[in-house]
Amino acid sequence: MTAVDWVTAVLLTLGALFTLIGTIGLVRFPTLLGRMHAATKPDTVGLFLLLFGAAFQLPDLRSAAPLALVALFQMVTAPVLAQTVGRVAYSRGETDEEHLVVDELAEAVERARKDAPDDVDARDR
Amino acid sequence: MTVLDYVYVSTFTMLGLGVLFTLYRLVRGPSVLDRVVCLNAISVLVVSAIAVEVAVRGDTAYVGLMVTVALLGFVGTLTAARFAERRAHDRG
Amino acid sequence: MTVDHGSSASTVPTGRPWYRRLGGRLPTVLWLTVMWVVLWGDPSPGTAVAGFAVASVCYSAARLPHIPVRLGFRPQHALRLVLHVGYDMLLSSVRVAFHGLWRPKRTRGAIVAIPVRTDSDFLLAMFSGLVSLVTGTLVIELNRNQGVLYVHGLPVNGPDGPEELRAQVRRTEELLVLAFGTAEDLEVFRLRAGEEPAGAAGERGENG
Repeated sequence: MTAVDWVTAVLLTLGALFTLIGTIGLVRFPTLLGRMHAATKPDTVGLFLLLFGAAFQLPDLRSAAPLALVALFQMVTAPVLAQTVGRVAYSRGETDEEHLVVDELAEAVERARKDAPDDVDARDR
Repeated sequence: MTVLDYVYVSTFTMLGLGVLFTLYRLVRGPSVLDRVVCLNAISVLVVSAIAVEVAVRGDTAYVGLMVTVALLGFVGTLTAARFAERRAHDRG
Repeated sequence: MTVDHGSSASTVPTGRPWYRRLGGRLPTVLWLTVMWVVLWGDPSPGTAVAGFAVASVCYSAARLPHIPVRLGFRPQHALRLVLHVGYDMLLSSVRVAFHGLWRPKRTRGAIVAIPVRTDSDFLLAMFSGLVSLVTGTLVIELNRNQGVLYVHGLPVNGPDGPEELRAQVRRTEELLVLAFGTAEDLEVFRLRAGEEPAGAAGERGENG
């Protein structure tokens, strides 16, 4: 086994561990937003590590370029999904207030309602 | 088997366990958004597994597949999430 | 703008000469071409030309609106930003993972209001993207008119938790503006950072 193989071994193990722990969090967290944090983001980190580890097994840099493209793609799409799910979860009221220390968005919405009842609803954007 | 082979096997095992956990949450729910998140997690897990397969084979023949799965997962998840929002608005 | 608007410019509805219109769209087409070549895995001239043709056709067929991109670029701060975000991603992944394994039922989150200190649409988009990419933070709502970001953070512990979350997000913003903001963006940033007391950041911008 060469040094490159060892790098791959470490990176692959770490990546798979991140992914696995993320899915364990997906099972164990009691709130929707908590599950969302656990499911999407450690997965992304794990995928980066796996791709990085896999790149070391490829013969040259040229054939590793498409892997960078996959990583970039994941980096662009993950926040979009997280944001969409978060916004929809909030607009559906599935945020589990008892697990929130503060909710300044609810306070702001409340204030906006009081100031101008027919004005913009901050949730409705 | 070299150490790397054991690493491959354990990596695939961990990813498989991850899919199982995700499936559990997918079935349990309770919210539509949970299921949406799970579907996306599964597509990311599949892409991860293909990444390991690329490492095993040492060639990038499957990269097109990775991009396709990631793209489908992204579009599908986004559509489902937006659909859930639409339903909430109709009801309220 | 130092470009001389010649007589040919009057035929263009937007008032910009054709070569500037083309120039503004060229980076996107070039980027699409690069992706095409990378996916083919074969950097031969034929692939590049075909990719350029397909990218041009798709881009003109889509008729995307032209968004003026005005960005600065300071490499040393960009590097700091990348390191900061990468460190954040790893560290907070570990934190969220730890909370998922150890007493997830007692993990608390928070939604805090964070007034943004930039007006640039582009920086704002990048900022909310970066915040949502990092584990444990997530942009729930972006109030563009008042310039307030509502961020959900996951492991929020103790009475200082929300402030720590705010500080972490604002650090990302600071580095982002330093790395990619134009001189104007930096000025706006300094102005807004100066007019607010350090601790009571959350109260600004919600009374508009």
